[in-house]
Parts: sequence; C-alpha cells; structure tokens
Amino acid sequence: MILGDLLGTPVFDADGGRLGRVADARFVLEGAPHQLMVEARLLGLVVGPHSASSFMGYERNGLTHPRLLARILRWRHRGSFLVLWEDVAAVGTGSVRLRPGYTRYSTALVGPGKA
Amino acid sequence: MTSLHNPLPPVPHVAGRILDAQLHLMDRQVLDHDGVPVTTVDDLEVSGPALDVEIPPGTEPPVITALLTGSVLGTRIFGGRPPSSRLVRIPWTDVAEVGVVVRLGVSGEPLDASWVERWVRDKIIARIPGGRHDPR
Repeated sequence: MILGDLLGTPVFDADGGRLGRVADARFVLEGAPHQLMVEARLLGLVVGPHSASSFMGYERNGLTHPRLLARILRWRHRGSFLVLWEDVAAVGTGSVRLRPGYTRYSTALVGPGKA
Repeated sequence: MTSLHNPLPPVPHVAGRILDAQLHLMDRQVLDHDGVPVTTVDDLEVSGPALDVEIPPGTEPPVITALLTGSVLGTRIFGGRPPSSRLVRIPWTDVAEVGVVVRLGVSGEPLDASWVERWVRDKIIARIPGGRHDPR
C-alpha cells in the first residue's frame, strides 16, 4: 500500500471511539539486511487527536526555539501518542482500528533508538 | 501535550535507528552514489497490510519496499494523489543512507525517476547548436 493513503486517516479504538488521525508512521531500521541497508519495518503509528498531520516534529523532540513557534506547535499537537503495530487490529480505506487494551506510548524521539 | 515531560511511557527499546516517515523521509532530496540529485521522496510504498482485513495478532510488520516520486504538485494543491501506476518507484534496496538527504547506492542515470531530465537533454538540448558538448 501507499503510505500517503494511511496518513490523515481517522483512528478508532475497539469500541468505535474516535482517537484522532494518523499523523505519521514510525519505522525502525532492524529488518532483514540488504546489500546496502537493512529493511525498515513499521514500528507503529503516531496518532494526533487534534491535527491530521505533523509539522516539523516539535512535539517529538526537545526543541524549544523559536519559543513562540515551539509553543504553538506543541499545543497544536497536544495529546499525540504512538501505538505499536501489534496494537493495530485493522487498516481500512478510511479508518484504522486498534485492538482492545492498546497502549499509548510517548512520541518523543529520545533514547538509544532516536534518529 | 507530547513532550519530553510527557507522562506517557516511552517506546520499548529498539536496537535500530528510528525513522518517522514524515519527519525523516518525505520530501527529502534523493542523491545517487555520485552525489547527483535524482528526485525527491514524494511518498513511500510499504508491503502491507491488506486493506479492510483483520490483522491477526503476531503478523509481521510491513516494511518499506520503495520510495515513490512523480508529478505531485497538482495533487498537493488540490488534494488526492496521482494513480499508483503514474508514480515512479525507487526500490528500498537501492537506498544506502538516510540523513539530511537520502543517498542511493546506485547511479541515478538509468532510474525511471530521471527520465524527464534525460528526455529534455536528448530531444531538446541536444538539438540546439552547441548543445552536444560542454560549454567552452
């Protein structure tokens, strides 16, 4: 499938409650090795409750400058969370459904695996 | 608010490097192994999942199969996307490095992504007097 079709798609929990939209897809370089680079496997989806996309990723890193821009963008993307691929129950043409008891993870790009 | 002070738990540790599609791949310039610009990443093709089908627990996650590029200016302005058949694919196996730009490990000359440039060079520029040699 083409990833652009997935971005912006509404996300629902197992009971049909709307959680937001797919703002981004997170991949990790740890799949099968190729000649030049390893495979990039899908780790999970970034879900934004208030926006259909992300802009410059201020909500995912520690950048605080320019201060006004950072505050506006963090506010716009407040409540964003990451759901792992294991918690995705189905991907439809116009919606993504999560499994019961899915876990919300921080979207922050920090730690050993950061880009 | 999702920030470094977010109360949400951090993602379980992964050994590999993390790439967020929108932040680290989309709209990045693509250079071939000689550093010559080839195109930009307009979209990505992934190996799954099948649409409108329940994903069984334990299913292997999809992987990126290709970088997609094409004429997307119109659809960026008016919405939608070009038909899949009109998008040019650069296999992920040709990608050597992802950084500020995406570097390929192959030459950009034979790739479908640069056919417009080759066509203009061969059909138009070459027919202009003096167009077949380097400027002196």
